[in-house]
Amino acid sequence: MTPLVTNRAQSPYTQHHPVMDFDALSWPSQRTLPREAATDEEREEHLVKLSGAVRTILECVGEDPGREGLLDTPERYAKAILFCTKGYEENLPAIVNNAVFQETYDEMVIVKDIEFFSLCEHHLVPFFGKMHIGYVSNNRVIGLSKIVRIVEMFSRRLQIQERLTKQVGLALSEILQPQGVAVVVESSHLCMVMRGVQKTGAITTTSSMLGCMRSTSKTREEFLNLISRK
Amino acid sequence: MSNHATKRRSDGEGHGQGSHKRKRKSKAEKHSASKNDGTVSNRKHSVSKPARDPRDEASPIPPPKRADEDRSPSPVIDFDGLSRPSAGTRERKEEDPKQAAARMKKLSGAVRTILECIGEDPDREGLLGTPERYAKAMLFFTKGYQENVRDIVNDAIFHEGHNELVIVKDIEVFSLCEHHMVPFTGKMHIGYIPNKDVIGISKLPRIADMFSRRLQIQERLTKDVAHAIMEVLKPQGVAVVMESSHLCMVMRGVEKTSATTITSCVLGCIEKREKSRNEFFSLVGLNRR
Repeated sequence: MTPLVTNRAQSPYTQHHPVMDFDALSWPSQRTLPREAATDEEREEHLVKLSGAVRTILECVGEDPGREGLLDTPERYAKAILFCTKGYEENLPAIVNNAVFQETYDEMVIVKDIEFFSLCEHHLVPFFGKMHIGYVSNNRVIGLSKIVRIVEMFSRRLQIQERLTKQVGLALSEILQPQGVAVVVESSHLCMVMRGVQKTGAITTTSSMLGCMRSTSKTREEFLNLISRK
Repeated sequence: MSNHATKRRSDGEGHGQGSHKRKRKSKAEKHSASKNDGTVSNRKHSVSKPARDPRDEASPIPPPKRADEDRSPSPVIDFDGLSRPSAGTRERKEEDPKQAAARMKKLSGAVRTILECIGEDPDREGLLGTPERYAKAMLFFTKGYQENVRDIVNDAIFHEGHNELVIVKDIEVFSLCEHHMVPFTGKMHIGYIPNKDVIGISKLPRIADMFSRRLQIQERLTKDVAHAIMEVLKPQGVAVVMESSHLCMVMRGVEKTSATTITSCVLGCIEKREKSRNEFFSLVGLNRR
């Protein structure tokens, strides 16, 4: 099956496979390195620039940036968005922190109902929901909280749900080298709920199946059954 | 010469001596006490005589409120139908396409700066159109300032002679926190007891939308909706309750996901009568043990 040919450039996230770059950042963006290695002065500068931009937004929207409730909003928004995109600064080895253990275990491990919050890269509006991750171990297990930390790292970025799912799956498979990984993400997109078509109950589900989860349907079935149990 | 009562009252010592003789007011004093012209003689002095110094007299009683004055203690609606317009509202409302395009451009420029500052690449495929999209989204999220309450209500007030509680509940509300510009979403329940006029029920969520599509805080949103309905419809009473989840508290900061914030604003007869209040809250489902 050949993919549809388009004139637009391909996304570097699907073409460029290595999960970890030379400096261990995962799928870094163009200015990511500057952000991670920025000095305190540079961070201050970024904050000031961001606050200025938010002030412009407030004026353009017709609000009065000088009123009491909005006085510090530019700084608060700047800090908030830097927090919501802190995933760019994190690197996988530091997060995983050698928490991969040799264990004679070759069964499925599932961590489900992991809440995550991310920012839609098209509208800069949050999307959030639950992630369910499972892997079939190859005599190596990973500290369970590391799975959640990996989710945090990839979700605190400007993302689309499809890419988020894929990145988490690829990262886990690279670090752990398991027999198979499965990631299912269900979320609600505020860009669709608060504006545009305005459907509040709609939930978007994406999944990424790698290794034996993709090839063996029984394994996949077992995973899907276990995550839908209450 | 002077009558009984005056003679007695002028003698301060009479009180302390335990004589409980009945003091009878003279006819003249009775009349003056019942005069209802807002003058000082209405007021009962605590020691039953007027003050020696005119500066110590009680201030005159204010005249009763006229019936056609605003029911809402805090008027929300401006002279031309806008509600709490902000600094640039009228400008934004009356602008021509050229000015609108300039505004979009300015907004998009600001968003591009934000993208650069957080360390992203504004020219990659997924982010190419993001500044414009965000600009349009932001203008949509703040369109409440420009809405005119008369256009919203659209004469949908009907003389029905109904005077029982009317509730519209589970109205989903999406607003932007003015402190972090991050959304807060939740449900609003609106109830009112009409004074013979009912309003088209879709107007209640429309009014809620008008106030929520702004930079808001939940307390002010609840209050504004209640006062607006009070002014527009002049019912006997209004009650508004809102329960919402604030992403600024869930996504960042203290990160407590199940926390919700509840605010309410109750005006008029629902505020005064406990039974009406209880009825409203139990019908809405918020009378928790």
